[in-house]
Amino acid sequence: MVEATKKRNRVFDYYCEEDQFSGGVAWCAGCPLELTARTIPKVLGKNMVFVGTPSCAAPVLHGQNMGAWHYLSYLACVMTGVASSATGLSRYFRRTGQDATVVCFTGDGCATDIGFQPLSGAAERAEHIIYITYDNEGYMNTGNQRSSATPRGAHTSTTPVGKVGRGKPTQSKNMPMVMLMHRPRYLATATLSHPEDFAKKLLKAKEMAREGFVYIHVFSPCPVGWRIDSNNVIEVCRAAVRTNYFPLWEAENGQPRLTLEVANPRPIAEFTRLMRKFSHLKEDDLAEMQRILDERFALLKTLCGASK
Amino acid sequence: MKAKKGKVSVMTGNYAAANAARLCRPEVVSAYPITPQSEVAEQISAYVANGELDAEIVEVEGENSAMNVVCAASLAGARVFTATSSYGLVFMYDTLLQTAGYRAPVVMVNVNREPPGIQAVSGGQQDLISTRDSGWVQVIVENNQEIIDQIIMAYRLAEDHDIQLPVMVNYDGYYLSYLAESVEMPLIEDVDAFLAPLKSQPPRPRIIPGAATGCGTHGMEMGYVEARYKHWSALERAREKVDDIDRLFGEYFGRSYGGQIEEYRTDGADIIIVTSGSAAGTTRTVVDAKRNEGVRVGMVKIRLFRPFPEDRLTEVLKGRKAIGVVDRSLCFGWKCGPMCMEIKALTPDIGRMPILSYIDGLANLDITVPHITRVVDEVNGAAQGKPFQEVTWIPMEE
Repeated sequence: MVEATKKRNRVFDYYCEEDQFSGGVAWCAGCPLELTARTIPKVLGKNMVFVGTPSCAAPVLHGQNMGAWHYLSYLACVMTGVASSATGLSRYFRRTGQDATVVCFTGDGCATDIGFQPLSGAAERAEHIIYITYDNEGYMNTGNQRSSATPRGAHTSTTPVGKVGRGKPTQSKNMPMVMLMHRPRYLATATLSHPEDFAKKLLKAKEMAREGFVYIHVFSPCPVGWRIDSNNVIEVCRAAVRTNYFPLWEAENGQPRLTLEVANPRPIAEFTRLMRKFSHLKEDDLAEMQRILDERFALLKTLCGASK
Repeated sequence: MKAKKGKVSVMTGNYAAANAARLCRPEVVSAYPITPQSEVAEQISAYVANGELDAEIVEVEGENSAMNVVCAASLAGARVFTATSSYGLVFMYDTLLQTAGYRAPVVMVNVNREPPGIQAVSGGQQDLISTRDSGWVQVIVENNQEIIDQIIMAYRLAEDHDIQLPVMVNYDGYYLSYLAESVEMPLIEDVDAFLAPLKSQPPRPRIIPGAATGCGTHGMEMGYVEARYKHWSALERAREKVDDIDRLFGEYFGRSYGGQIEEYRTDGADIIIVTSGSAAGTTRTVVDAKRNEGVRVGMVKIRLFRPFPEDRLTEVLKGRKAIGVVDRSLCFGWKCGPMCMEIKALTPDIGRMPILSYIDGLANLDITVPHITRVVDEVNGAAQGKPFQEVTWIPMEE
């Protein structure tokens, strides 16, 4: 465990394990998914099982290139079976006294769409698992199709911008809030511009998963699909936090609190201008995006206030 | 060594199935309610609640999850059980394929019912037929005693080191699920003894936390082909293993079923009626009556549907004069019933002869003594060179 000191902890202070991935893995250059995946076992320790599914993570977790793989225990599932497979593993490990952290690791498409039923079921049953969603706001592995995590106005290959089309017409599912209403033992949002915050939450998740269900939602911009320069992805993460587009918060037993309060939130345009998936948006589109963001943040703040 | 006599009592097919599962001591059980299976899940939950079974029960939110729970637990090393039917079976279809591909020795009861099509809450084997190529071992049983005995045998088969495949035990919904019959329930210590040889096998591969173990690759090229070949070969081996286990079961418990197929009065028979499931009882009655009339007829009950008992069937069907196959399901896009199609595929081995296809018993319509009598008469006519109809939908002609 990390010592409580006045000195601000660095992300390395939370590491207890060597990197479990080899070099040269087959993820896209600049994608935060790679660093996210490498960070998880470093903090949680090697005694974990990754449970995954066809997704951006799959080429490495499944082992498309067995020359650049990982050293972890892993179960590849169908997209409709991640949280339920994790349930089967976790129940048996606990029954037989095997100390293991069972970690689901899927994209937003699995979590918010096709795999939502078993995820919701596992949360309701308070299974002792950690479900980590890396949210790149669409089906990026199959070529940037819209998911229910895709924000309003975003250009995707199934909500293309054209003479008539103006990107996705409806707003995204507010997934962290949806999961909060399941009252998991622990819930957190995280993104890689704030790696200490992420690592700290992972450590907490490991402890809390001994007592119940844990959900972590990681904001994970896609350099290819969102059209971001690959050296600029962490900046996009930071802008998402600074605009309150993706606030950093956590909740124990359904009681939310912000883990980072942004002093002077920046307007949404400072986030959208960093990528080209929103480049077609007009003033009124941005105003609507700001309105949705403000509404969501106000709800979160209200819930945070209510739990004080 | 022989098993002691078990307690004889009257119970429905569903209670018989739940009881048999309890005797095999599954460690993780997961199921979702569906007519006509629900009592199996309820009864197992009751065993756990009453302390009669020490198992993890996962009450999931859909059959897809039930199959994922037991598949994953099995891959971690657990003995598992689940039960479903019809819509449930097709809702778990993706993981059904994965469970077989991962060689997870899951034992599942499938209470046969018409699957989605035009919405039917009624019996039929179409659900089983729709999962024919899933890579599972599929067995069909005839009565409540056979449900019990086959579930016990299913564990011995599924977890056998040479097999390591999931096994689906099928019985007719409504006809058996809700039918109360007298059965002998084996003693749990005798079931322990019958399953004990599994413990002395080499341990099967499993997912171990902290070790680089697991399931699933992107399945590219030769790795995929090799895994599929091994899976295919394991199914090929299962045929003989089913016969062996049936024989061992008979020696120990005093009941056996013929293994892959059951033959009834096939000695000296000119014609054979092929069927499966609860319809076999009716067929046996008709065979007896017709034998008394001097008709040289016998019955073959298909117990093992996948892998298909090609050799055993060839042996018994070769040299007959005609065959009638009664199917409780359809083969869309092929001009006969599904099991009839399989029997016809044996033609190069058994020689050309009239093979008559009968569709009956769909949607809870009874396969009656007059129906089977008609089948025997027509097949007998065909054997004597009379013209015959290739496919007959019996209820449509009544």
